[in-house]
Amino acid sequence: MTHSNKKINRLTATNEDTLGPYYPISLCDNDNMDMTKIRSGVVNEATGEKIIIKGCVKDKNGNHAHGCLLEFWQPNANGIYRIPETEADDKIDPWFTGYARHRTSDGNFKLITIKPGVDDEQKTPRAPCITLTIFSDGITRVVTQLFFDGDPHNDTDPLLQSIPKELRERLMLKALTRADDGTVIYNIEIKMAGENETPFFDDILS
Amino acid sequence: MSKYGRTLQIGPTDLTSEKRTPRQPLHLIPEEARASFVPFAPYNFNALPSEADMTRLAPGRPRADGEPIKITGRVTDQYGRPIRKSMIEVWNANKYGRYTHIEDFSGLRLDPNFLGIGRMITDDDGNYEFWTIRPGEYLAFPDISRWRPKHIHFSIRGGASRLITQMYFKDDPHNDTDPMRILMGDNFDANIGKEYEIEGDEFDCGYQFDIVIGGKNPTFFEDI
Ligand SMILES: [Fe+2]
Repeated sequence: MTHSNKKINRLTATNEDTLGPYYPISLCDNDNMDMTKIRSGVVNEATGEKIIIKGCVKDKNGNHAHGCLLEFWQPNANGIYRIPETEADDKIDPWFTGYARHRTSDGNFKLITIKPGVDDEQKTPRAPCITLTIFSDGITRVVTQLFFDGDPHNDTDPLLQSIPKELRERLMLKALTRADDGTVIYNIEIKMAGENETPFFDDILS
Repeated sequence: MSKYGRTLQIGPTDLTSEKRTPRQPLHLIPEEARASFVPFAPYNFNALPSEADMTRLAPGRPRADGEPIKITGRVTDQYGRPIRKSMIEVWNANKYGRYTHIEDFSGLRLDPNFLGIGRMITDDDGNYEFWTIRPGEYLAFPDISRWRPKHIHFSIRGGASRLITQMYFKDDPHNDTDPMRILMGDNFDANIGKEYEIEGDEFDCGYQFDIVIGGKNPTFFEDI
């Protein structure tokens, strides 16, 4: 296939569709919302500052969006995403995948993880952030990224800086409280539609 | 400055869509940030061969009510390259339009021999196959008489390939009024299973449903 006819030969993508209300809950049985422990019953844990993120997903009317399937994705404490290309990288943490998935029955979620780091070797380093994908009834997949309020890297993050200032605030994880063991608890409210709508991104046309 | 991509459309007559569809246009992702939007889900799953036979609860158990059908297909990217060793999860209503899901409050008839949940892994060429019962249509919202046409839900996961979609049946009278189908427009054909004959009486017929995972996001290819 030559470069010039690549486009012509491309297959039409299958349409994404709504998750519907009946995604089998049992298919989530192996899902894990504690990124610091990828394997139970062993002493090994992810390296980095352990944090807790408590959030909720709300609809246009401010009601909790029940039955959403949430996917979280983030780099490790060194700022490296674990993908096939980086699997053998020195900066990969073997006890961290950066992936978590959860079906929320009531719209709330709690993620235990480590604070993502910054990869300074990148030409345009990304601020610490967590990618959130939402699958839900009534919509096709939507994606966004969550940032840490007050982090100095936010001022130069290419994604954050690409959206209007007043919208950046809506992507901020805010540290409000601590757990009994001192772990910082961050909060976020995701608003799917309407007033104070969370900014979402187009990962198909981008 | 902000650049905009698609504006998601609200499915007509779909109440949940009205409540959950973002109203603002989606923001384009700057090149430097694009790769960070492609999760790589670790493979931590396996499927038993019996999980691909949804027509019975377990090998040797009685067949569920309704017409057994076979669904076959191939999962590829837009260049036709196979998506190998991906987990396909499928779920569909029984013959009477009822899910076994704990939040299906329709009151429609349950079938003691039908679970409606299946799983399988694509082979080295991206192929998959499973057996199920032709699902019944059901009223999604009884208060506005909105029917869902017959359909089978699909989720593809593992690696970077993530797609949630549905396979529909040609000529279902409810297709034309289905909100998500209306949003798909002419592309709807891509989501219709192509019927083919199967000899013998084990299956009513087969359906070929090839799945193409789209988008410009990179797909990670691994040698497994
Ligand atoms: Fe359904």
